[in-house]
Amino acid sequence: MDFEDTPEEAAYRATVRDYIEAHRGELMSISEGGRRSMDLSAAKAHQALLYDGGLVGVTWPKEYGGQGGTQMQQAIVNQEVAKAGLAGLVGVIGLGMCGPTIIAHGSDYQKSRYLGRLLRADDVWCQLFSEPASGSDLAALRTRAVKTDSGSWRVNGQKVWTTLAHVADYGILLARTDPDVAKHRGLTMFVVDMHAPGVTVRPLRQMSGVAEFNEVFFDDVEIPDEERLGDVGDGWRVALTTLMSERLSLGGGGTDVGASLDAAAAHVAKRISELPEDRQALVRQEFGRQYAASLATRYTGYRQLSAISKGAMPGPEASAGKLAGTKTGRALADLGVRLLGKEGVYATTSDGDGRWQSSQAGLPGMAIAGGTDEILRNVLGERVLGLPPEPRADKGMSFNESLKLGGGSAGGAQ
Amino acid sequence: MNFDLSDEQRALASAAADFFASAASPSAARASLDAGAPIEPGRKAIADTGFAAITVPESAGGGGGSVLDLAVVAEQAGRVLAGPSLVTAARVAVLLDGDDARLAGFADGSAAYAVIEEDGGPVLDATTADRFLAFRDGAVVSGSGTVTDREPIDATRGLADVTLGDTEVVSADAAARWERALHVGQVVLAAEGLGTASKALEVAVDYAKQRVAFGRQIGSYQAIKHALVDAFVGVEQLRSLVWWAAWTADESPSELALAAAAAKGTAAVVLEHTAETLVQVHGGIGFTWEHDAHLYWRRAKVDRFLLGDDVDAFDTVARLAIAAAS
Repeated sequence: MDFEDTPEEAAYRATVRDYIEAHRGELMSISEGGRRSMDLSAAKAHQALLYDGGLVGVTWPKEYGGQGGTQMQQAIVNQEVAKAGLAGLVGVIGLGMCGPTIIAHGSDYQKSRYLGRLLRADDVWCQLFSEPASGSDLAALRTRAVKTDSGSWRVNGQKVWTTLAHVADYGILLARTDPDVAKHRGLTMFVVDMHAPGVTVRPLRQMSGVAEFNEVFFDDVEIPDEERLGDVGDGWRVALTTLMSERLSLGGGGTDVGASLDAAAAHVAKRISELPEDRQALVRQEFGRQYAASLATRYTGYRQLSAISKGAMPGPEASAGKLAGTKTGRALADLGVRLLGKEGVYATTSDGDGRWQSSQAGLPGMAIAGGTDEILRNVLGERVLGLPPEPRADKGMSFNESLKLGGGSAGGAQ
Repeated sequence: MNFDLSDEQRALASAAADFFASAASPSAARASLDAGAPIEPGRKAIADTGFAAITVPESAGGGGGSVLDLAVVAEQAGRVLAGPSLVTAARVAVLLDGDDARLAGFADGSAAYAVIEEDGGPVLDATTADRFLAFRDGAVVSGSGTVTDREPIDATRGLADVTLGDTEVVSADAAARWERALHVGQVVLAAEGLGTASKALEVAVDYAKQRVAFGRQIGSYQAIKHALVDAFVGVEQLRSLVWWAAWTADESPSELALAAAAAKGTAAVVLEHTAETLVQVHGGIGFTWEHDAHLYWRRAKVDRFLLGDDVDAFDTVARLAIAAAS
């Protein structure tokens, strides 16, 4: 057991650090990288520059333009990018989810057309899975793709919570192609051109006030059959590849959820002495518990990273890290706001600091995105602990039959 | 980075699991509680395996191993509610370090030590001890003691009040040594708690797969499933802290105080929560004397107060983290 880099890891880290240092002036910092307000061409240039240094597509196979590297190298890049305060990548969804899905299931045409441009952020990608009437129960989605006489597909429906859709050039779209079979079996995956006629993107404002994602409407959008990703009716299996890749890209690896633990400690250190002693004891008790929990999450991430670096696949265990990290992140944000005292009723303090209030309003989303806390508990209970599944009222039914069950008339768009 | 046990440590865990599973059990814990039966496996048996002296140098008849090695073994001891505690072994090895004559007596099981945490407080493993280590005027001292038995909640912990008799100095100017012994003890206590909690979780999960209510296995209900998952997440978080804290004891002493407190406090909370969940998932049967559930629960209710309670531990974590950030 050790927490030091191996000589190979240290050499790799030095290369990464040197490249970032050499190009620091041309790279975007995190304050410039908000998803809604970003300068798109600058964000693309930022990713292209990192790609040129081998810092994008680290684990992708070389034949598709990647580095053919290891998950540990990817973790090192993540750590160094975070340490340098660099902005995230505009290609985050494409790199983490769409690209790996194309690598696993795409045709030669799709691989050669899309992957290289995706890596350099020549194209931006989004993932079109969730719908207003199917969030946790993703396979119950309603967006329809119907085959036309000419052999292409005509798509109608609505997607929601689509990160980056407002700047995306392409998306991977999960749609229903056969409503007369069981819900998981009637789905097909497509690559959709986000600039095609009939695609409408509307920003969606979150409870935090920020508009980071979107709703996307499809009105008679035509998709050529060559843009089908995988076989007809095989969309669920293709989607599982995407979700597995998502798990890997969100895989933690010991990064903090919400504000960094160091930032929280600095905030407590600064504020605690202003409090009466009985309050100080309460703050220490809460902070000590959350600090320990954050360390536990960090080191659980390191355990997973170590396992992955030895060849293990990221399993559903990663969900435990997300559950624990979200809980602690929310508690630390709450403590952060409480430490502002009466100023905690305002969105920013008198000296202009709104970090803790923003965290407070943003972190409820972490307990929903990428699998709600409740769904993750089901996954862990059933896949890891081996507990029997919750009975499903729609089991054995076709999708059309299941619509007659309670709630089936809720409708798609709203 | 490689945050994982080595193959040797896995083999050690496996050997420890074999030994402890054959030498101790919840039934034995119940017998100790019911009828004052000897605590199993007992000092001699644990000494004979060499597990008690893992961290004692080879020159004094020990294993010359790491705190992490001992933690790996302690987890297995915790699974079957074994006693006396390896916490005592861990502390004795630190407190007697350099005194090979005394250490040899401890390693071969001929000397039965317990450590007096503070005067007037309960002493872990006192009921099976014949000599006591304490901290007096900056020195570690060893002496005889008068043991006053008290009615136990968990008899396997051998807790009793002790009045120290005549002593001799083992190590002068030993404040740092006393403190390290406390921290290493906290790590090993957390490791035992990890074992107890993970075993309690397994028992609860097994029951939830078998018990049927309203025509379904109760583990299919989210009310039960989610409670078990929350316990599982806690156990995995605790495992990470135990391994890390044990590693700091061996490799990064400047981080030990914080890591040990984090592990100790988390162990108290996680074990208690898991044991409460174990009882609740079993319903009425889980509240009976015959069922094992209360034996894990008893361990939880006692361990949380040993070597400082969770409130102390998390206060320490906060103080150290705040000091580092100031």
